[in-house]
Amino acid sequence: MTEPVISVEGLGVEFYRSRRRRLSVREMLFRGSSGTSKETFWALRDVSFDIHPGEAVGVVGGNGGGKSTLLKMIAGVLLPDEGTVTVNGGVAPLIELTGGFVGDLTARDNVYLLAGLHGVSKEAVDERFDEIVAFAGPQVKAGLDTPYRHFSSGMKVRLGFAVVTTLDEPIVLVDEVLAVGDKAFREKCYKRMEDLLSDGRTLFLVSHSERDLRRFGDRALYLRHGRLAVDGSMDEVLDQYNADLERNA
Amino acid sequence: MELVRTTQRLWGRRSVLATLVVRDLRIRYAQSVLGYVWTVLDPLLMSLIYFVVFVYIFKRGDLGHQPYFLFLIVGLLAWQWFSTVLTDTSRALTGEAKLVRSTNLPREIWVVRVVLSKGVEYLLSLPVLLAFLLFYLVRGEAQLNAWLLLFPVAVALQAVALLGFGLVLAPLTVLVTDMQRVVRIVLRMLFYATPVIYATHLVPAPYDKITWLNPMTGILEMMRAGFFEHDRLPIVWGSVVTAVVVSFVMLLVGVAVFRRLERAVLKEI
Repeated sequence: MTEPVISVEGLGVEFYRSRRRRLSVREMLFRGSSGTSKETFWALRDVSFDIHPGEAVGVVGGNGGGKSTLLKMIAGVLLPDEGTVTVNGGVAPLIELTGGFVGDLTARDNVYLLAGLHGVSKEAVDERFDEIVAFAGPQVKAGLDTPYRHFSSGMKVRLGFAVVTTLDEPIVLVDEVLAVGDKAFREKCYKRMEDLLSDGRTLFLVSHSERDLRRFGDRALYLRHGRLAVDGSMDEVLDQYNADLERNA
Repeated sequence: MELVRTTQRLWGRRSVLATLVVRDLRIRYAQSVLGYVWTVLDPLLMSLIYFVVFVYIFKRGDLGHQPYFLFLIVGLLAWQWFSTVLTDTSRALTGEAKLVRSTNLPREIWVVRVVLSKGVEYLLSLPVLLAFLLFYLVRGEAQLNAWLLLFPVAVALQAVALLGFGLVLAPLTVLVTDMQRVVRIVLRMLFYATPVIYATHLVPAPYDKITWLNPMTGILEMMRAGFFEHDRLPIVWGSVVTAVVVSFVMLLVGVAVFRRLERAVLKEI
């Protein structure tokens, strides 16, 4: 057995239940207390699993089950309160795809910028620039030198997807981004992800779409109220999930 | 040690840091023709206002070193760097929430980036100072001395202090919603409590020690040391020493506070 690329052990993360977690100086001064409730809940707890190179793992579960939280932990943009997350290798996160773009700069500049933020050198972007633009589609290509804020939201996401999937990272995290874009672009995304998989990348996918999950995942994690309920084959997990849904219906 | 580890992590991502700083500068300068003018116009106009108010209205041209206008420019350029960094770092994490949420970079980078890009803006504004210096040199009203060597040291020290303040403010603003207002008010008060428009030497006795605690006091003292004669207003070395100590202590505190609050901050943005 190879070394796992993602190793999660006893992972737990605790959130405040109250929306008014944020403090304010005014309240502290005038009420003498922070005015927020101390009630907390565990978004994830006692979650442990290993993922090996080349695996495609889907995460299944209802809203509030902790799927996105788990993904953020692996991406390293949230830190655990309990347990550890060990990731060996770089991560290409398909999360908040358009977050790194600046409206006032041209699309061309933005490609370099976003790739740069993920640690890609200018020369490496030069090399792949045409590939990125070709993937993003003719509309994007035509507007390369116009300010990014003139792009439609679909074009923005396409450009983001094109840049992040060209990152040479061994682990790819996908959070529902496949739901965006028109049908033609979605097909292109599927194709790109299959290429990544056959390339030996590790795929970690959060989705509500059973079709997407079955298409890419051979293994699945079922998160129920923050606990890892089942860790097994995709069919097994989806059957269990659907059975749970029916029982609660 | 925490500081060493943080520095190592940031050094490992220096190309990303460079990208961010270049991005800031491009947005600042490339977008409008007046980009550069805006950064120097503000301290210049403020210098002019204080000059008119103090010299012509209050008839107090003796509040600082001579020439007073040059004295004001040195102080106001540095103060602009100080105050813009403090306002901007207090929204460093919230303003870039999307990026912070989607990239696994050492989070300190968002603060360092503000200090650096504002620092570059400051350095780019120095030619204006140089121009006025030459003007007064030609007229024989200004003179340089060897303490000019302290100027670059002061710039570096200000960067250290700003990193410290920024690392405390950035996470605090995420957790405490009205922090930005507090920062704005404190900054406005601090402006008058810092020897920007008057000389450090003029602060009367027990209060002078209090102003020393603000590292900007000593930093400005160092920046001005090389430009003026010090027979009437000698260099206040106590403020310089205090500034060095406070700046480095602040950096250590900043690194520790940031580490401590990082977990909670990430959940909130």
